[in-house]
Amino acid sequence: MQATQTPMLELRDVYKSFGDVEVLKGISAKIDKGELLTFVGPSGCGKTTLLRIVGGFTTATSGQVILDGEDIGKLPPNMRNTKMVFQSYALFPHMNVRKNIGFGLKLQKWPREKIETRVDELLALVHMEGLGERTIDRISGGQQQRVALARALALEPKVLLLDEPLSNLDANLRVVMREEIRNIQERIGITTIFVTHDQYEAMSISDRLLVLHEGIIQQIGSPIDIYERPANEFIAGFVGYVNFLEGTVDAINEETNMSYVITEYGKLELDHDQKDIEVGDEVVLVIRPETVSLSPSHGTERPNTFHGTVESQMYAGNLAKYTVKFGEKKMVVDHYNPMGSEKFSKNTKVKVTVPRAIHVLKRKSASANV
Amino acid sequence: MAEAVMGNVTGRGIWYKFRSFFNKNLLNIFAGSLFALLAIFLLYPIISVLLKSLWGDDGLTFDFYVEFFRYNFYYWSLLNTLILGVSTMIILVIVGFCFAYLTTRGPLWLRKPLKICALLPLAAPPYIFSISLITLFGRNGLINNLLNLNFNIYSWTGVITAQCLAFLPLSFMMIENVLNSLNPSLEETASDMGASEVRIVRSITVPLAAPGLLKAALLVFVMTIAEFGNPAILGGRNPFLAVDTYLAITGEGDFNMASVLSVVLITPCVLIFILHNYVLKGKGYATITGKGMAAEPKSMAPVIKIPFMIVSIPVAVMVLLSFGVILLGSFVKIVGVDNTFVIDHVLNTQSNIAIWNSIKVSLGAGLVGAIVGTLLAYVIMRGKFPGKQIMEMVALSGFALPGTVIGVGYIMAFNRPPFLLTGTIWIIILNCVFRFLAVGVEAGISKLHQISVEIEEASADLGADFITIFFKVVLPIMFSAFVAGFIYTFMTTMMSLSSVIFLVTPGFDLASVYIYLTAQLGELGLASATTMKVIAIVAVSLGILQIIARKTGLDVGTKQGA
Repeated sequence: MQATQTPMLELRDVYKSFGDVEVLKGISAKIDKGELLTFVGPSGCGKTTLLRIVGGFTTATSGQVILDGEDIGKLPPNMRNTKMVFQSYALFPHMNVRKNIGFGLKLQKWPREKIETRVDELLALVHMEGLGERTIDRISGGQQQRVALARALALEPKVLLLDEPLSNLDANLRVVMREEIRNIQERIGITTIFVTHDQYEAMSISDRLLVLHEGIIQQIGSPIDIYERPANEFIAGFVGYVNFLEGTVDAINEETNMSYVITEYGKLELDHDQKDIEVGDEVVLVIRPETVSLSPSHGTERPNTFHGTVESQMYAGNLAKYTVKFGEKKMVVDHYNPMGSEKFSKNTKVKVTVPRAIHVLKRKSASANV
Repeated sequence: MAEAVMGNVTGRGIWYKFRSFFNKNLLNIFAGSLFALLAIFLLYPIISVLLKSLWGDDGLTFDFYVEFFRYNFYYWSLLNTLILGVSTMIILVIVGFCFAYLTTRGPLWLRKPLKICALLPLAAPPYIFSISLITLFGRNGLINNLLNLNFNIYSWTGVITAQCLAFLPLSFMMIENVLNSLNPSLEETASDMGASEVRIVRSITVPLAAPGLLKAALLVFVMTIAEFGNPAILGGRNPFLAVDTYLAITGEGDFNMASVLSVVLITPCVLIFILHNYVLKGKGYATITGKGMAAEPKSMAPVIKIPFMIVSIPVAVMVLLSFGVILLGSFVKIVGVDNTFVIDHVLNTQSNIAIWNSIKVSLGAGLVGAIVGTLLAYVIMRGKFPGKQIMEMVALSGFALPGTVIGVGYIMAFNRPPFLLTGTIWIIILNCVFRFLAVGVEAGISKLHQISVEIEEASADLGADFITIFFKVVLPIMFSAFVAGFIYTFMTTMMSLSSVIFLVTPGFDLASVYIYLTAQLGELGLASATTMKVIAIVAVSLGILQIIARKTGLDVGTKQGA
């Protein structure tokens, strides 16, 4: 992932409208060789359209699609070296597993023995040995998924496109296949774009995520970037629950590397890692429920602590979930591994402690304020 | 408590007993009466035909069948009928596929106009094309005169052309349905794998559509061999089974031979009906789950687009031209010969009386048909009694049986007590009711499929008895199916010729019969004007049916009566 490497696929300022509706509003992104990038976003965000533009099933209204240095934006799907696995798998029901996998090879006029060898190789790759003669309706959903994957990989495309490939599988199988797809992808080192609306699926499978919302890229980054350093409130709320807390930066101490933010609950002391934050900035603190700790309201006072009342609690074994009320405001607190530690019942007075390492979103810059 | 209830029962007296009897037995009463009706008005006539073909003056005999195979004339008739069926079938599957491919995957500007042309013949009786072809290509035909051709329309070419145009909607609708139901991802994947459009059509689209194409082909075949009007008007000297059956009765009064011809005609129909409903049912490729992205119209490869357009556009033009000359023919003296405007054809009293008679018969048939159809659908869906499948099969068979056969059956079955109906309007009405029952029944069944039996159970749970549920819940829900059945039966009765031609009495003409007779006599103006009126009435009915279908999601209008 060095910046010097030429990207395998590059999108340059891609726009797409259907009639009056603008679906994609200037998408630019680079995907490195061997990388797995996920297009993720709520339904209707344009992620499938973007994938179909890469695959050639839809043409962009403007912008370029550059594959390995060549602009393929105007080529039909059959002239591009990208292969797609469809959400419905799109397996040909009138052909058996082998014929499905070998379909593209046959079109390329490969000799029969070479096709057979290649198909055997692929069957082994997706752990379907011995099932080649089965018809499509006689294999399970997970197996259909494997066949669709093998068929797309047969011609060794430069980029593999996966359109919500796991959405038709049940929850357990989804996890298995997710790991399997990632496994195969890493083993053969194929550049892959994966589309999903499921943020956890995206987080767990990707090298990087491209989060789309309303036709605009909200953020591109690794799962860690997205979760720990979200670019905006949408991203922060998109991956997991988040308590937003508004405040103003009061002071920054460069020596101790601390910043002080005044919120409606009081002054908070935070690590000053984000150097673009200045005194006077209006900010939003991204407080994840699991980073907050609860303690009884008596006991020693600690910094970054507020007093509140438990409004509701839910115990789920591995997790105790509390909603703590501070006057009008509420904060969700997740207490993981609650076994053996103190539980708080409804209406108990509690102390909530916010950690110092908190991501800060700048809402209004102090310099812009002047 | 128990005493209080008992007291109530005796207090309500006879009315209560009556009501509770019906509560328990209404469904069975319906089932019993419907069984009786189907037996009398469908099975009995068909059995009469079968028996008559085997029963001579000296009892059981195969003489009539021997006679059928001895005479050149008759087996030519069989052979011609099969040739007509097969050739129309082959042509229509190809033409229907071209139309359907273009309307589902072709250029946007072409889709709607092509679809309209392909469906237009639905609004007219099949024999309209005989009249229009004679007007265009007859001895004094418009185009014959214009281009100085010496083309004989009373020929194989004429009959096949007329049949193809008449049954284009049937083939088109079925194939379009198949092409629409294919998951677009399949064709996209093939393209992704590097297949050209020709290759996709050859190795993906056609193989996947094949079961649907086969079904369309079989239906077209049945409809074509059963059709009476076009071969009768344009057939010239070529014998055809349906026409010969009619001639055997009207010309020679030979009921035995008419019955033999009917049995011969019915055999392929029954075989195909069984094949279609029981062997091919559910065949085809289940679409694998998942949404197919609405494919953006992409440009077709010229290698496909141009041949498909060469096939379908002339056919579409021919359909439009046919309707055009019917309209023209209604208002001018003789099209192409004397183009002076006249209103006589339209005002002709005999024509108007025939139209009026047809409307009366059709309203009667529509009403009775809708009632019987709705009840049948309900009994078939909700009843629990042995023989349900047989009941459904018999009810739907009227559609598959050639009209001429049922016509022959009706004159034999109902010209003597206990069911003396010959000469009355009722024989025509009942004939149409039971021939066209299938669509009303299917509309009812599809409506009942939409509503869960739990609705009725919930009503019962809330304290409603069966009578209340039936009248307050079931009938209102089925009302749209009732109306659809009514309009459909009305429409098909308006256009029906093959069966009623046996049943009309002199002095009581129906529009279809009047059109047939005037066309035979070369009175094309009168035939055109009457046809135009029928088209107008049918078009209005179709419009209403469309509105109902759109409002209620009923799937109607995929079948066509001959």
